[in-house]
Amino acid sequence: MSTHAAAGAIDHHHDHTTSTGIPNKKLFMWAFLASDCMFFGALISTHLIYRLHETPNQPDILGIFSLELTSFSTFILLMSSLLMALAVNSCQKGKVPATRKMLLGTIIFGLIFLACQVYEFLHFVHEKGLTLSSSMFGSTFYTLTGTHGVHVAIGVLWLVLMYIRTFKPADGSPWILKSFVHLGVFAVVTVASIKALLGGVHAIQEHGATAQMLSTFIQHDLIAIIVTAVGLAGLVFLGRESKAAEFGEANAVDVEAMGLYWHFVDIVWIVIFTVVYLLEYL
Amino acid sequence: MSASTHSAVDASGHGHQEASKFHIFVQLAMILAIITGVEIVLIYIPLAKWLIVTSLLTLSVVKFLLVIFIFMHLKWDKLFCTILFFIGLILAGGTVAALLALFITEDSKPLTVPEAASIDYVVRSL
Repeated sequence: MSTHAAAGAIDHHHDHTTSTGIPNKKLFMWAFLASDCMFFGALISTHLIYRLHETPNQPDILGIFSLELTSFSTFILLMSSLLMALAVNSCQKGKVPATRKMLLGTIIFGLIFLACQVYEFLHFVHEKGLTLSSSMFGSTFYTLTGTHGVHVAIGVLWLVLMYIRTFKPADGSPWILKSFVHLGVFAVVTVASIKALLGGVHAIQEHGATAQMLSTFIQHDLIAIIVTAVGLAGLVFLGRESKAAEFGEANAVDVEAMGLYWHFVDIVWIVIFTVVYLLEYL
Repeated sequence: MSASTHSAVDASGHGHQEASKFHIFVQLAMILAIITGVEIVLIYIPLAKWLIVTSLLTLSVVKFLLVIFIFMHLKWDKLFCTILFFIGLILAGGTVAALLALFITEDSKPLTVPEAASIDYVVRSL
């Protein structure tokens, strides 16, 4: 009885807890995030040191940055954090369909952020001539924001795997093959949609919002558009609810640990947005 | 009867807490978006540079703390999680401060190409 009462007071969802009363996975994630703080601290301070000192081949940074794009990326990442928090909340209440929708929303927002970063890097390299080796600013900028981008990409992959896991059937029927197909379709849609999106942006830049833009876009990115459309139809097909899922409240700690990682990526961007981008405009 | 009343009260209390948490998350997202907007506007306001830098850093810290305490549940979690994360955060902050302090001095400024070449010449001649 007393054990039950003690267990009731412990913050866990059917997960093994440490002697601190905190679930293992959650404690591990907090420890990892604490160490990751130091990693990003080193990268941010390196960037700042070389910005405070005049270095050779210093580019015109204000002529390179696009505040509109970076602000949009920041907004997208903040909203993805909201969706992630709602996904954790839904999972803790055992609402699997709501958890799926929120996870899917977080994935989409994460991919939009990544697409913005890919566009930004391509723009910087091809049009502004800022490469990893062109200047010290290029080296520290790409290392810092690229490392953050890799964290986002890992987060998106984790989210996709968690999303697929929510479909594991409760009756124990085979699902591994279907989950690999699901993952494959996700990967194809991700690559194709980012390519189509970048192609669309490129066409708008060249021709403006005209009929010629549309024809150029379709001409250049027809395959990417078709693959994206077919892939999205495949995702809808694979994501339909057919059987009762094993996933539920018992997995809340897994979703929560993943949520901690995702929010951490968000707070790192909050610092990068201010220190790397906004302070340049003063 | 009494037990069922108790459980009904508990359930409604729990439901109310969950609903309020949902509202807290949505409100927080709106606050974060507004703060981001204020940050962007701030850089175009003709004020003293030190004032804008301080304001930007303060707003950034506020956003950071709001996310870790509310979205990351530190407010509702055990204190140990907060302590563990802040150990990493303080070490990282200390590293940043120490590195900036070390490299702000005149002697630590990166060498220009002629300076580096002259030092290389002296070293080779020794």
